[in-house]
Amino acid sequence: MRLIIAGFGAVGQSLVSLLKNRMNWLREKYGLPIKVVAVIDRGGAAIEKEGLNPEKLIKTKKIKGTVASYPEKGVKEVLCQEVIEETEAEVVVEVTSANDLSTGEPGFSNITTALKTGKNVVTTNKVPLVLALPALMDLAEHNSVLLRFSGTVGGGTPILNFGKECLQGEKIISIKGVLNGTTNFILTEMEKGESFHNALLKAKKLGYCEENPSLDIDGLDTAFKLVILANWVMDKEVTLKNVKIKGIRGIEKEELTENLKKGYTIKLIGSIEEKIEVKPSKISLNNPLNVKGVLNAVMFKSEISGNKTIIGPGSGGLATANSVIRDLISIKRELMMRMVR
Amino acid sequence: MLVVMKFGGSVLRGTEDFKRASFIIEKTFSEGKKVVVVASALKGVTDKLITLSNHALKRNSNLKNKLIQELETQHTEITERGLTKKEIREEINNKLKTLINDLQKVASGIYFLGELTPRSKDYLMSFGERMSTLLLHGFLKEKGLKTKLFTGWEAGIITDSNFGEANPLINLTKYNVKRNLQPLLEKGEIPVVAGFIAATQEGEITTLGRGGSDFTATLLGCSLEADEIWLWTDVNGLMTADPAIVPSAKTIREISFLEATEMAVLGAKKMHPKALEPALKANIPVRIKNAFKPEEPGTLILKKRKIRRGEIVKAVTLIRNVGLINVKGPGMIGKPGTAAKIFNSLGRNKINILMISQSVSELNISMVIPEKDFEKALSTLQLNFLGEGLIQDVAGDKNICVVAVVGEGMKGTPGVAARVFKAVAQKGINVIMIAQGSSELNISFVIEEKMGEKAVKALHEEFSLGKIQ
Repeated sequence: MRLIIAGFGAVGQSLVSLLKNRMNWLREKYGLPIKVVAVIDRGGAAIEKEGLNPEKLIKTKKIKGTVASYPEKGVKEVLCQEVIEETEAEVVVEVTSANDLSTGEPGFSNITTALKTGKNVVTTNKVPLVLALPALMDLAEHNSVLLRFSGTVGGGTPILNFGKECLQGEKIISIKGVLNGTTNFILTEMEKGESFHNALLKAKKLGYCEENPSLDIDGLDTAFKLVILANWVMDKEVTLKNVKIKGIRGIEKEELTENLKKGYTIKLIGSIEEKIEVKPSKISLNNPLNVKGVLNAVMFKSEISGNKTIIGPGSGGLATANSVIRDLISIKRELMMRMVR
Repeated sequence: MLVVMKFGGSVLRGTEDFKRASFIIEKTFSEGKKVVVVASALKGVTDKLITLSNHALKRNSNLKNKLIQELETQHTEITERGLTKKEIREEINNKLKTLINDLQKVASGIYFLGELTPRSKDYLMSFGERMSTLLLHGFLKEKGLKTKLFTGWEAGIITDSNFGEANPLINLTKYNVKRNLQPLLEKGEIPVVAGFIAATQEGEITTLGRGGSDFTATLLGCSLEADEIWLWTDVNGLMTADPAIVPSAKTIREISFLEATEMAVLGAKKMHPKALEPALKANIPVRIKNAFKPEEPGTLILKKRKIRRGEIVKAVTLIRNVGLINVKGPGMIGKPGTAAKIFNSLGRNKINILMISQSVSELNISMVIPEKDFEKALSTLQLNFLGEGLIQDVAGDKNICVVAVVGEGMKGTPGVAARVFKAVAQKGINVIMIAQGSSELNISFVIEEKMGEKAVKALHEEFSLGKIQ
């Protein structure tokens, strides 16, 4: 399987080093030898149809700052979409960061270019999906290719597949969950008596959130994940504008400590029922969604078998990179099934 | 005697070439032969037209206009330098100007619509041959010869509407061509026909695709029941081997259609087997001749040729830029449909297979794939078959080449394969894969790429190809 990797930040680099270590294992266990035929970053691209060397890619990025300096195969001043269009590959892995919240660029164009030129897409990039997931699914189907994004919700924890595949045949009534590790860490700290401000500083110090933490604490990131869950698991054709959002700003530590005494806590809960909503909610300490620190927890309520909760770490470059490999294997399986048909 | 002669792009580059071509035509005509002339576009013009279509499509107005200007200059330079009679030169230049204006309009159409359908592409491509035949027509006029200019469709070639690779309606074409050209030949005129291009019954311009102008020549030849078809090019004919590899390689005097077809496919000359078919059916000999050395006999392609004693192999060819893919696994043994699945998955991805081999143990299927599709083929097979038990491994090797020996004399001659492989073995060359069809016209085998030339030399020597011609 030949990959084009668009974006070479934490996730892209983690993916390449994972691939380097797992090459033989993937080939033997899944019959999935993988070649990275192009990597694109802000400085340019490295392209080699026989496959780029993972070690050289990472080394070049570390030392020179861009894959455009890759020996002999590096190109500067090249358009990302041109590389995607013109390089032969089966899959485009879209892992660019800091996408524009109103347009979803550059991720959106990278994904549409790939789909239009008959390439399957794996992305961990939420922004283009939440703006246009129904449209992108349409485009993928029209071009008979697959769009996979299991790393967008729960990172390494397979929340999307749990809902879609493990629960198939059941009617899912609602989904509720703690979907953002950063806010959950902050709330956990506040429960212990820290102020919002100090808890946020601590989160920053530990590298749990970005310089600008607004995406997390204002509830947007949770809303992103709800949109993806709603589309993928519940077949609701919704985008970000269908979500009502309230973050955790303004919550005082006293609210948490007082509630704690009565056997309750406050979590930033995203829920999909009639409405799709993100808001701080009071839950009982016994509630399975009461997870601590940076953990994620999602509860699926289905018609017959009731509530099921999946809990696991929700972020980290390596875990997210691993979700890409998970998607690649699922694409291979789906393509093999199509072969038989 | 009636001769249809075609001038390829490689012998139509500049003024001197047109003088040479018109001299050859005049000489043949003066020997009392009836002549029909077919011409390709000037060298490089077809590629320029493709580039032009892309510029137009990508809305690159400057490059588009520059290229049209270039095409105009390329053609008018030849008339300015070569046509000395003022009235002829002006007539040709005026017609050329009209063609260039039309070309400009077509390119603008593509530019504004942002659309290049196979149909409009064929229309655009047709200008190359229309301009080159116009020039040749002018040069013949200059010599005082009576000539008339035809496009393919004016000559009577009618095709289906498979634009880009149209198929002639053979009997209709034969009837039309005979009706349109025969009277002229009777009057002692020389028809000059644009190669490569034709039209549908509705008059939409089509192109004949691969084999292009050669195909036009053989179509005209069989329609007019010509005695011979001459293809003028820049080499002496088909060779026993690439002279760049084997300096003692000789021009082949006579070869059968079947052998020529094998060689054409193997890249001995850029001649498409499809183009030879009408001549084969009508049993018209085709001669490949060198326009720079017209006194050389060239290569005569015949439906059936006499095979001299001891003449077993006719030519040795080397095919580079290929890769080998080996699919293996005990799961394939005794499992009907395995090969079908493999070839089907490649076919669906539009990958052509050059060579196939499977031993009776069914443990392996080996394939040779053109280099441009190699990575795609490898990836497709790995993606579709690895990990399900049927196939254990799909491996590729790009450091290979194919050597092929061709000759009708091989058929039914015992010991040919033994001689081939012994000659190769004596040079210490390991054979990786072998294929021979039951027609016995061709033995192909795969060896390490760097051994390719050595093997060709050894075989050329073994079968004394440098001597017997």
